[in-house]
Amino acid sequence: MERIESVAPSSRPLPISLILMAALAVHLPLMLIRLPLNSYDANFHIFFASHYLHHWFNPWNTKWYAGFSQTTYPPLPQQWVALVSHIMGLDMAYMAVQLAAILLLVVGVYRFSLLWVSPRAASFAALATVFLGSESFLVYSAGQLATTSAAPIYLNALPYLFDWIRRGSWRAFLKASVLFTAAAAAHHATLLFGSFFFAVPVLALVLLDRQGGERTSVPAFVFRTVTIVLLVGAAIAVVLLPFWIALIHYPVTQAPIPHPSRANYILSPIWGLNYFIAPYGAMILALPFIVLRGSMTVRLRPLLLGFWVAFLVGLGGTTPVGQLLLGRAFEVLTMERFTYWATLLALPFVGLLVSELIDRFRMRAVIPLALAAAFTCAFAVAWVTIRQAEGASVKVDSVAAWLNRDRHDQYRYITLGFGDKISRLAVLTDAGSVDGEWNSGRRLPELTSNGAGSLSSSKYFGQAGLDALRAMLRHADKYGLKWVIVRDPYYDPLLKFAGWRPVDMLENNTITIWSKDGVPPAVPLNAPQMPPRWQGILWGTLPFGSSILAILVVLIPGRKQEEGRGDPAFASQEDLEPGRLVS
Amino acid sequence: MNKGRVLAVFITAATVALIAIGTLWPGKTALQYSGGKNLLRTSSTPQAAVENLGDEIRLRAWGAAYSSLGNKAEFSQSDFVHDLTGYYLSLRTYATLESFEVRPLHASSDQAEVRLRMHWSSVVGPFTTTRDLQVVKNGDRWNVDWPLVRKTVVPPQVIPENYLRWDVIYRGPGDDWGVQDVEAPHVRIVDMHPVQRAEGVVVLGELLNEDVVPAYVSVRATLQSKSGSPISTEGSFDKISHILLPKQVTPFFVNFPNATLSDVGSIRMEPLSGLVSASAGPVIVIENQQLNPAPGATVTGQLVNQSGQVVNIAHILETLYDKTGQVVWVADQYTDHALLPLTPIPFDIHIPEDLARKVSSERTIVETYSVGGVH
Amino acid sequence: MVLASLSLASAQDSRMSLPTTVGAGSAFSIHSTGSGKAVLYIVGPGQALRRDVQLGESTYFPVGSLYNAGHYLVILVAGSSTDNGWVDVVPANTPANLSFLAKPSRLPIGLHNGISGTVYIFDVYHNLITKPTPVSFKLSNPSGSAQQRAVTAHEGVATTEMDSSEKEGFAKFEAQVDGISSTRVVEQVPGSPCGLTMIARPSGKGIQLATNPVRDCSGNAVPDGTIITFTESYDGAQSTADVPLKHGVAQVEIPAHPGATITVASGVVLGNEIHWQK
Repeated sequence: MERIESVAPSSRPLPISLILMAALAVHLPLMLIRLPLNSYDANFHIFFASHYLHHWFNPWNTKWYAGFSQTTYPPLPQQWVALVSHIMGLDMAYMAVQLAAILLLVVGVYRFSLLWVSPRAASFAALATVFLGSESFLVYSAGQLATTSAAPIYLNALPYLFDWIRRGSWRAFLKASVLFTAAAAAHHATLLFGSFFFAVPVLALVLLDRQGGERTSVPAFVFRTVTIVLLVGAAIAVVLLPFWIALIHYPVTQAPIPHPSRANYILSPIWGLNYFIAPYGAMILALPFIVLRGSMTVRLRPLLLGFWVAFLVGLGGTTPVGQLLLGRAFEVLTMERFTYWATLLALPFVGLLVSELIDRFRMRAVIPLALAAAFTCAFAVAWVTIRQAEGASVKVDSVAAWLNRDRHDQYRYITLGFGDKISRLAVLTDAGSVDGEWNSGRRLPELTSNGAGSLSSSKYFGQAGLDALRAMLRHADKYGLKWVIVRDPYYDPLLKFAGWRPVDMLENNTITIWSKDGVPPAVPLNAPQMPPRWQGILWGTLPFGSSILAILVVLIPGRKQEEGRGDPAFASQEDLEPGRLVS
Repeated sequence: MNKGRVLAVFITAATVALIAIGTLWPGKTALQYSGGKNLLRTSSTPQAAVENLGDEIRLRAWGAAYSSLGNKAEFSQSDFVHDLTGYYLSLRTYATLESFEVRPLHASSDQAEVRLRMHWSSVVGPFTTTRDLQVVKNGDRWNVDWPLVRKTVVPPQVIPENYLRWDVIYRGPGDDWGVQDVEAPHVRIVDMHPVQRAEGVVVLGELLNEDVVPAYVSVRATLQSKSGSPISTEGSFDKISHILLPKQVTPFFVNFPNATLSDVGSIRMEPLSGLVSASAGPVIVIENQQLNPAPGATVTGQLVNQSGQVVNIAHILETLYDKTGQVVWVADQYTDHALLPLTPIPFDIHIPEDLARKVSSERTIVETYSVGGVH
Repeated sequence: MVLASLSLASAQDSRMSLPTTVGAGSAFSIHSTGSGKAVLYIVGPGQALRRDVQLGESTYFPVGSLYNAGHYLVILVAGSSTDNGWVDVVPANTPANLSFLAKPSRLPIGLHNGISGTVYIFDVYHNLITKPTPVSFKLSNPSGSAQQRAVTAHEGVATTEMDSSEKEGFAKFEAQVDGISSTRVVEQVPGSPCGLTMIARPSGKGIQLATNPVRDCSGNAVPDGTIITFTESYDGAQSTADVPLKHGVAQVEIPAHPGATITVASGVVLGNEIHWQK
């Protein structure tokens, strides 16, 4: 009985403004020192944004793969970066958009958690978001701007979905639809998989709650569900139309590229550290609570099941679940995003646990919890420094300057040993490359048939990577590929025996520029993948427009119940199944 | 037990079971990252012991691999590692073990001989090495006795070097436009003909540097249809010596995958040449070169580096001729060992079975790569 | 159109008398009629002049005023009236600069018409002199012999062809016009080895092979660095070595095999053959 009192929902939640301040206090300094620039993919997003900056209505980017279409990747966060860059430059614009996503996630988690747990527990869940290992891992180590932008929009849409299905509120219907569409414009995979991991548990919650308070009939439930699925589906089809056209005409059929997130984390402990320990952090300690409380509390079971499946898929090759559920997509997707979603689904439980521990143990709980949160966040933030990406220390400014002078940029280039810095270089130089970092956008047969990632990191893909490199060097004349910029002498023998010659050295002789004689200047490839002008206009208008519309629609005042909470049957002790032991 | 507990137990048990399945029987990708290692295999048979050793070599887990050896007292871990990766920088140094095959040769109750065939990937292409391993039983485990090949020691000596070297000074941007630039070397194709192979059309031939200066050379070929329209253009890649000294001849090999010779009306050849700075050294002598007839036709021999400079990688280009002196094939191989001064290194180049009977004579040239020698 | 209509409107007010041609860089004057002040513009290839002039007087342009050959537009603007006309600036008669292209810079000896020389004749202001001009070409060989050709340049260009000599070395190729000359150097290099021979002698367990000094068919020493290929064939096997010439000879040590046949070659040229019996 004492415990029931301790988790009483009457306890006051933390003010959301305070939590947002905490998020700013933790993440703003890290953004101001531009820490995310060291992550794997930040420069990739900045590169896309730099193209939108100069060619908002032309998604055909000639700087990679001798030309590729940016309609193969949802554009929303990158377009926001491009827009904000007019004020503060590309790098800081990226930081601004990423910080906005973090703040939005705090709000999203709070509102999503309100569906499941008490306002107090939800506020602790929101506070935990600030220190969430997977968020820090994706922001500072992986640089997944799209995933970390789409998830908060999606989480903010879910309470509206609940209100629409539960109560038939048309305002909620409108808001949910617009937010779901904007989330898809930010990252399509989040919407697709989010529907299973997030939306289905919310629908299940509606079914569980339908008898209490305002009743929801089954026909109404079905009608509302079908209506919103159809409308959102149609909206996404229109908003991302060039994306779907590209996907249907040119499906991703290239040979699968290995990714360590698909490893078995027990057999390969280093990847376990990278993809399990770093993102989960101290949340691992909460796993037994999540399973126990999620199982015992009827209302939390849908959330638990969503978490469990995302958790298992996020374990990559540690279990066969990812392979079984995703099929071929398992070889295309990277698994860390599933871990991210799993941690988001776990946050209401974490909020509940924190709330109960603090209510029961007061300062004796606060201190270890704060330490655990700080450690989780710090470890995930530091991870990018502990385990640096290939090429993290490479300075590409001198290479860009070299390519931009003396008409060197009339030929194409590739880099070897530059890791993810090829995106940075692509932002700075006018020259085009036959390499790139967006594997799903590439169409050159030399790259798609070998099952390797970027040429710059060929050696890490074993024979497949080296075969791709050899194939590309073989066809240097065809692509106007005259420059190979090498930071790793590993590749020197191949270049030497294939007839390339060193012509210049940069950065204290740590970078060698190799050239091949007789290569004709690069000419634009007349690729069938080049989107027509009308698609460019749609691409520059609708996805970004969906976000503007979302902002405007969310500002429409709603009924009190729409403002982010489900029925007041919070997952506290009262929901426990009869017979559950309190301890 | 209530439903909640059943669910909790089920989720926990299922998670543990799924992790166990994924670990004991890992999927393809998981195996790739673990280097083929799974938890089921112990060194309880000679074959398993060699497979475990192969996995450890693939993961470059040198400590674990060395620890598993039965005869590790005979040499240090460093010797073991250098035996695999080369005592001097060579193709092996940066090669990664892509896969391996294990074949038992014979076995008794406490001793066995197992052949380990290792397929390496390197920057210039794959290569294979084979080791016959003695495996001995030690309690309930089998340990591999590694047949260490010790470092070749070159006796102290002085080898005089006075190689020629050519440097090129091109016209400067401020020169009068009438000032001559240095002339590109004159090269000539002395033999060329196409061959239809299963994988496509191959254009073979030889190129001569007629000039008195070294030449950077390359060959580009365009297949043209009977109507004269171009079908495909390809260039020689590494089956050519791109640096030709005066009066030197190189074979070339231009591959057109998926092309059909019957569709070809003519072939346009473009020999490219340019002046380059070059050095005349080192001299590599090919000794005991022998054409071994089919089946399993090969050209074998030894390379001897007559200079005092270590050659880290050598590329052997073998031109094979028929009785009329026409080129019938160009084969090649990269050495996986460094060429030390005056130390023979064997080579063994495979010849396609169907062509082996046509081959009457061969000619070998060697291209070399030495670290620091390319700039 | 605008200029033409202005010109018509001003016809009664002021007029210029223009010289038809002016030598590049020469002094000239333009006379105008009428009274009052006007502005004279001369616009041509790479040059534009502006002068304030007094109508009714001659405007003098000193030496070097117009130096680029070509067609110049002259406009006289007096208040709202204009007059215009054309002047041709022609190259000066005296050659001052030659641009001499000699190709190739390097060629084998004994090549008929192997060397081509093309000369472009310019005046002091780098205008191409287009009137027919006599040009003499002279190729002086290292042996002291020389070939000469006299050619008349048309439209500023004269071309000739010369034979490379039988003697290797650097030849001096000179073009001369009216006392102005330009010189280029053409390298004449030896041809393929001729009468390639080698000698063999035992050296420990091997054979020391060395060529005699390698020369071409004209007796010129083949340059160092030229690759000589030694091949030893024995018992169905062979040993080969590609050796560069050093100081005119190539030498190498190969394993000795009794009964072996040793050949020497350079490029597509074969040398002698030795049967090793020891």
